[in-house]
Amino acid sequence: MKPDGKVVLLGDVNVGKTSLLHRYMERRFQGTVSTVGGAFFLKQWGPHHISLWDTAGREQFHGLGSMYCRGAAAVILTYDVTNFQSVVELEDRFLALTDTANRDCIFAVVGNKVDLTDACACVPEAEDGHLSEKPISSSVPTKVKKQVRMDDAIAFYKKILKYKMMDEKDAPAAEKMCFETSAKSGYMVDQLFETVFDMVVPTILEQKAEGSSQTVDLHNYKTAKNTQPGCCR
Amino acid sequence: MEAEDLGLPPKGGMDLPEDGVDPPEQKISPGCTETGEDELIVALDKQVELSAAQNNGPLSVADGKVDVQEELSEAREESSEKDLSDSASTDNTLEDSCEFSRPLVMGGGPSEEEEVAAQPRPATHRDEDVTAESWRAHRKHVFVLSEAGKPIYSRYGNEEALSSTMGVMMALVSFIQSGDNSIRSIYSDDRKLVFVQQGPLVLVSVSSTLQSEQQLRQELLYVYDQIISMLTQASITRIFERKKNYDLRRLLTGSEKILDRLLNLVESDPCFLLGAVRCLPLQPPLRDSLGSLLQKAITPNLVFSILVARSQLVTTVQEKTVIDDCRLEPTDLHLLLNLIGATSAFQTGEIWTPICLPRFNPDCYFYAYISYLDADCTVCLILLSTDKESFYSVSDCKKRIEEGMRTQNYLQALSSGLKSPSYSVGMVGAPDLRHFIYKPLDIPDNYRQLPQFTSPELEGPYCSESERHRLFDLYHYLHSRIHSTLRPLRLIYHVAEKETLLAWVTSKFELYTCFSPLVTKAGAINILTKLLRWIKKEEDRLFIRYPPKYSTTPNPGKGSKGVRTDGAENGFFGGL
Ligand SMILES: Nc1nc2c(ncn2[C@@H]2O[C@H](COP(=O)(O)OP(=O)(O)OP(=O)(O)O)[C@@H](O)[C@H]2O)c(=O)[nH]1
Ligand SMILES: [Mg+2]
Repeated sequence: MKPDGKVVLLGDVNVGKTSLLHRYMERRFQGTVSTVGGAFFLKQWGPHHISLWDTAGREQFHGLGSMYCRGAAAVILTYDVTNFQSVVELEDRFLALTDTANRDCIFAVVGNKVDLTDACACVPEAEDGHLSEKPISSSVPTKVKKQVRMDDAIAFYKKILKYKMMDEKDAPAAEKMCFETSAKSGYMVDQLFETVFDMVVPTILEQKAEGSSQTVDLHNYKTAKNTQPGCCR
Repeated sequence: MEAEDLGLPPKGGMDLPEDGVDPPEQKISPGCTETGEDELIVALDKQVELSAAQNNGPLSVADGKVDVQEELSEAREESSEKDLSDSASTDNTLEDSCEFSRPLVMGGGPSEEEEVAAQPRPATHRDEDVTAESWRAHRKHVFVLSEAGKPIYSRYGNEEALSSTMGVMMALVSFIQSGDNSIRSIYSDDRKLVFVQQGPLVLVSVSSTLQSEQQLRQELLYVYDQIISMLTQASITRIFERKKNYDLRRLLTGSEKILDRLLNLVESDPCFLLGAVRCLPLQPPLRDSLGSLLQKAITPNLVFSILVARSQLVTTVQEKTVIDDCRLEPTDLHLLLNLIGATSAFQTGEIWTPICLPRFNPDCYFYAYISYLDADCTVCLILLSTDKESFYSVSDCKKRIEEGMRTQNYLQALSSGLKSPSYSVGMVGAPDLRHFIYKPLDIPDNYRQLPQFTSPELEGPYCSESERHRLFDLYHYLHSRIHSTLRPLRLIYHVAEKETLLAWVTSKFELYTCFSPLVTKAGAINILTKLLRWIKKEEDRLFIRYPPKYSTTPNPGKGSKGVRTDGAENGFFGGL
């Protein structure tokens, strides 16, 4: 059985991609080892089979990134809120890998490890509510300062849209697609994956519909798609 | 099967060349120490007459008196050996022999320390204080640095904190190099420093174990090969050609655990020492069926299919054009399994990763598909393809294999074989036999067989980590004597403090045995005979005798060398 839609996790070494996926799939947080290459998972989502690729952040495997992203319906760009460089890397190193993704690929920007951050150092307003709900484990005495704020993530999301030459009006709202998570506590992890999957479903349906008409219209459709002005490739 | 088949002398009649008993010693030692195999057999034959008298002689007394006597004679054996053999080498004087019996006896000491240190270590050993005494006290340090002196890896402590130490190492290397020479080792009172230079990398081992320089060198080569398995030699060379002081850690971050695990394994798994693969003991029909299942589930560019269970090989099949002039090297398999073991934290997925098999071809990548077939993650399927894009078709092969295993109930059959961890030495039926390692050497050459070995589970006194270390120290020592380049031995009878060991290599096998300390020489020989018979009886189960191979649709342009994609072309390091 061929998977229906592809979701790819990208991000620098150690930001917690594997941990996020592990938290979501196995409901646990446990020691991980730096991923080699990429790991493929199949997730049943309603009637659909969504394939999930957890990729390695190591520079060593960089060459594979565009392969994992080929035809992706959604890309989850992950950074570590306690490490500003991890967002810089997303922009410098990982964004270009998504060139092989679907034209209408969905992007989510995820700041992981919020459990580590000092709650007071967080952005006020919206974040406050979430963070106080979350049981910040008191066993971690050393809270570190948050280096990446939600605003930075939103700005980065807008940059992605620009890079993809997508109109902000057509794309999902930044506020909806930027997440702060903790694979350790589980905070916002389900919301992240469920939001992404839900948004991938229409693309899957569209693909399936196209698939059934492909025998007739394959050629026309493809050429039409390739000449779409919005496509930057 | 006759005892003679195995080259065993008649029962009870064999004596051992390193015998410490006075009269034969003078006669025999020169013979056995300077000769090759044939002469040794003659020497052994001569021994036969002598041994009858001996059996009632000092040795049987020694039996009663437990270790003391034997230890004494052992010490003499050792020194006489050294006298004869190593007089030429300065580092092997008589002092050595006293020192020798000491650390062996005290082998548990450092290991125990290690164990204590190991408790807080896992999370922190990278952050260890490199100025602390506990850091210095580690049994074995391993460092990897670049020719420019840049730190790449340290087994303990942060490489950054060690950059000056590594700088000194590099200074040593360069200094000797400037004299058109190369540094190989430094011996101090309690440490051996071994240097290996491979291309732009320098590897250093600082060891207080009893391992020989050669063994330490071999371990460093394993470390090098593991690095190559992740990056390829070609790309490392290329990187350093472009930028001499490149920081290779950029590419290796996250891989430290793989190297850490490797270094723990080489000290505790004989597969590295012997350069041989451990097979899962299995009834031949089941193994054959699994092999043909793998053979059927193939796809273009798939070249190796490997089925392992708990790091033991179940079966492997190779695409024929590959096997014709090449074979899967044990080292490559070990490094691959180590990599898998170190990355298996999340086992429900299917892994797709580039991997280089350094002994097969150090410059190119394969693409490895790795997936567990059972819920407990004990049975692992590895499919190696040369096509980067073939994940889905290879994944499809796995589905077919899985399906086949389900319908035939193979998985159940396999896991029942896995329930009892490997097998017990008790199956041999010799109570004084505690453990052994057997590597057959009489493999038909035309099968280009994987070198294999078998070994029972460690039991009894060897359950704790420190005791295991101690036993492997002894095995390492025996191995180093057997494989000494200066003076290889065929047979060693070694009485240690808590056990007696015998190592023996013939044209048919290489064997290391560990007996309870109370065993007599005659008893040991009896057990050997029994053990060799048992192995002969079980060999179809213990080893893969005839590995299957297959041929995909003939593709004339596809020589096995040509099959491999070139590392330079597959998009890696394009940006470097
Ligand atoms: N405190 C905290 N630690 C986390 C969290 N997520 C991951 N970690 C830790 O961060 C480290 C890296 O996590 P991984 O999930 O392996 O990171 P990765 O992004 O998959 O890394 P690569 O596979 O090398 O690209 C591990 O030690 C995790 O335990 C989190 O939400 N909170
Ligand atoms: Mg990972």
